[in-house]
Amino acid sequence: MSYLDNIRNFSIIAHIDHGKSTLADRLIEKTGLVEARDMKEQYLDNMDIERERGITIKLQTTRLKYKAKDGQEYILNLIDTPGHVDFNYEVSRSLAACDGAVLVVDATQGVEAQTLGNVYLALDEDLEILPVLNKMDLDSARPDDARAEIEDIIGLDASEAPEISAKTGMGIDEMLEKLIEVIPPPQGDPDGKLKALIFDSYYDSYKGVIIYTRIFDGRVKRGDTIRMMNTGKNYEVTEVGYCIPGTVPADELKAGEVGYICGSIKQVADARVGDTITLANAPAEAALKGYKKAQSMVYCGIFPAEGEKYENVKDALEKLQVNDAAFNFEPENSAALGYGYRCGFLGLLHMDVITERLAREFDLDVITTLPSVVYKVVMKDGEVLDIQNPSNLPPQALIAHIEEPIVKADIMTPNEYVGSIMSLCQNRRGNMIHMEYLTKTRVQLHYEIPLNEVIYDFFDALKSRTRGYASLDYEFLRYQPAKLVKLDILLNREPIDALSTIVPEEEAMAKGRGICEKLKEIIPRHQFEVPIQAAIGQKIIARETVRAYRKDVLAKCYGGDITRKKKLLEKQKAGKKRMRQFGSVTVPQEAFTEVLKLDDGR
Amino acid sequence: MTEDKMDKKRGIYIHMPFCVQKCNYCAFLSFRADGSPRKDYTDALEKEIRLRADLERQNGTDKDIDTVYIGGGTPSVMDISSMSEMMRAVRRSFDIKEDAEVTLEANPATLGIKDGVTLAKLQAYKFMGVNRLSMGVQSMDNDRLHYLGRIHTAENVARDMQLIRKKGFDNVNLDLIFSVPGESGENALSDLEKILELDPEHISCYSLQIEEGTPFGDMAEAGELTEVPDEEDRETYHRICHRLADAGYEHYEISNFAKKGYRSRHNSLYWNMDEYIGLGLGASGFINGVRYKNTSDLDEYLAAIEEGRLPVAEEHRNTAFDNISEAVFTGLRRREGISYEEAVRAYLGAEASEKKDLKTADDFCDFFWEVFADARDEAREYADRGLLLIDNEGLKLTEQGIDISNSIMSLFV
Repeated sequence: MSYLDNIRNFSIIAHIDHGKSTLADRLIEKTGLVEARDMKEQYLDNMDIERERGITIKLQTTRLKYKAKDGQEYILNLIDTPGHVDFNYEVSRSLAACDGAVLVVDATQGVEAQTLGNVYLALDEDLEILPVLNKMDLDSARPDDARAEIEDIIGLDASEAPEISAKTGMGIDEMLEKLIEVIPPPQGDPDGKLKALIFDSYYDSYKGVIIYTRIFDGRVKRGDTIRMMNTGKNYEVTEVGYCIPGTVPADELKAGEVGYICGSIKQVADARVGDTITLANAPAEAALKGYKKAQSMVYCGIFPAEGEKYENVKDALEKLQVNDAAFNFEPENSAALGYGYRCGFLGLLHMDVITERLAREFDLDVITTLPSVVYKVVMKDGEVLDIQNPSNLPPQALIAHIEEPIVKADIMTPNEYVGSIMSLCQNRRGNMIHMEYLTKTRVQLHYEIPLNEVIYDFFDALKSRTRGYASLDYEFLRYQPAKLVKLDILLNREPIDALSTIVPEEEAMAKGRGICEKLKEIIPRHQFEVPIQAAIGQKIIARETVRAYRKDVLAKCYGGDITRKKKLLEKQKAGKKRMRQFGSVTVPQEAFTEVLKLDDGR
Repeated sequence: MTEDKMDKKRGIYIHMPFCVQKCNYCAFLSFRADGSPRKDYTDALEKEIRLRADLERQNGTDKDIDTVYIGGGTPSVMDISSMSEMMRAVRRSFDIKEDAEVTLEANPATLGIKDGVTLAKLQAYKFMGVNRLSMGVQSMDNDRLHYLGRIHTAENVARDMQLIRKKGFDNVNLDLIFSVPGESGENALSDLEKILELDPEHISCYSLQIEEGTPFGDMAEAGELTEVPDEEDRETYHRICHRLADAGYEHYEISNFAKKGYRSRHNSLYWNMDEYIGLGLGASGFINGVRYKNTSDLDEYLAAIEEGRLPVAEEHRNTAFDNISEAVFTGLRRREGISYEEAVRAYLGAEASEKKDLKTADDFCDFFWEVFADARDEAREYADRGLLLIDNEGLKLTEQGIDISNSIMSLFV
């Protein structure tokens, strides 16, 4: 019997909130590698932001030991997956490192859009799937319905799906037994040529980049020279080992195993997820399939706020990039906001995470401009430009047409919300491809929607219209011509580049009006009248005015309470620091991000 | 700068947190209370007076008192017997100067229902040494008074004023509130005329501030209250200023107007960086370079006194910058503004200014703008816009500058 028979490599897949991280915690606790007292809530989500939002962004991988009822000891490698649509590619690479997946379905909720999306990703990697019904400790659990949904919607046999509660630990042993039975052991030739898949990497200030890998064939040890087959770069291995969790050195890693490799690699972009590691002196013939370069879908400008140093922002962005191959940035100069950076992200969540980390981990005060997608601008002379910054849009007269990215959006919802979702999607220029009844009460809607319409607040709008019951999955589909124009905003007759946006022509009027109204609320009154205008080219399409003058006087100091008065003045002063000066007009910094949060009921 | 201005004056503020009922706009600390809490309170207050006075004597920082101000709440709802006990305690514990200004806040219709009672109460205040009365008139329109939640009528005001004069009080302030929702500038000016007919020595005019946590605040949040637009409010304010100037009142602070010789000496302490001892619930004080504030929780206040300790909740020793900053923003409330010398002396303390060899006006000017180097450009912009006057002596707001005084003051904090 081969050592391979006692290894199981698996992921847990689930919709957000269905209990993936809690289950991972229970498994770690159960298999005794982390003392109960060291358990933090949801061990695997180790960034604060992740823990707060209940989502996983950065993967963690853990080697578990389990003594099964057959008397044998099994190595269970739990390979975590990120839990958000922005990170589909990363999810698919994690799954590629596995031989099977545990599908966690919340027995109180049933199957959701992301459940299906993740299952499809797993099926694409030929994984065996073990469905598990979670949250069985809750009174609202309806296991029979959930089982029926798994069978009807996903097509998996759920009759023997273990019923568990990741929270209380109920049913975990049965689940582990079932896991060993259902999920096949890895295959591979430890004496073949090295083929190892990078499914995650992160930067450690002592060891350099730590690569998480699954060895498919061959073996690797300290001192070997490895080669990244897609980037072609060579590195000398300084350490290999297992993730238990954390990094515990071992002599070697061999086919079927999961572990880490260090090689004094300076940034994670050099050990890109999906790349194949082989030995430089005995390379494999072909790389593993599925490698993709990271592609930014959403861009925004990040500028130092008043009083913040440009260098500090640069340092922080560089540090973040070291650990995040999907994040990129380049210098940008805005007339309104000065020197800053144009940053590219996988999606909105990715952008949120990065900007929040800038504030939290680096204590930086930055202004984030409106997110934008990448437009393909086809010029009259046939040249095609990628434009993600509205300021860079060439004059209308030179443009033949503009194409915008379209995503395929799958929305799963209880049937009573179909009407309001359809009107939402229609308002967002969505095109319904088809609709299917998954069960009597659950519907899946397939839409094609411009990404531009999804990146602002589509998800929030969807949640609020369906009281949180609908779920969304989306992925990039294609570029498609659209009638788009650049909408400029002028303050006191001066265009403010950081407020320019690219919008559909037929919506320009409404958007322009909305932005002007919003700015009117945000911009404080000045000693003079401040006109706010929205324009397409030379044509003004909307106008608002911030009236001059403002009463800003305290009639009375309460009984000699100078301290109270002083606090008010200090607050006022601090508030002013958060303002930007444009000529003689003062604009609060939040204007740049608040302005497109148009609550226009769309 | 005269010698006596450099010598810090000291006053006493005593808070009486009780009212017949709470007004709709009021965010001051006051309770609608009757019966026993008042007695407990004045008893505790007497003890606090002794504690504070003992502490000052022990530290050797006791000083003669220039002004006493009994504010509220509505001090005139307090029992005469307890008030008189309390004032006796003040005089026993502190050395009140012969010519001290002693102000009592009184609300119309709280002095007495019958004229006889009112006169007797006023007589009792005289015995206590009260020589200035400040009346919360607020409006001379009965509908508006009702809307504000006041318990009195315009007729009450006229009657009280007559009795006050009869009793020989010759230093009376009347408070007026303008920009009440629904009120026009004409209404406010007509109120002012009625107040002028009563011929007070001092008038305070406050633009209504809608404060959170008051009935008006709640109404505003619910959208049930149409605030007077800022433009109208400011226009009314300036009309009031001009009308009062015509009537012979000197505009000496943003909201205060006085006939010659009748400025409020106590309130001036606040704007001159002088000292004041705050006594009673939620009272603020500034003595020996420390700003403090008493607890605003009545039970906590009573418990602290019971245990024999001062009921101080917050305490802050001013830094040199605190001093100059406060000197500037409180000084800017005065129409005469703030001189560089006064501000710099607040920063350095009197002796250090000598050591620094600051003598001429230019010395003080340079020093001042060194401290506020960051504010200089913006201050000049305000000056260019005619909102602030900057010369080689100091700074002052113009009448237009008052409208946005907070923005200007916030340059200096």
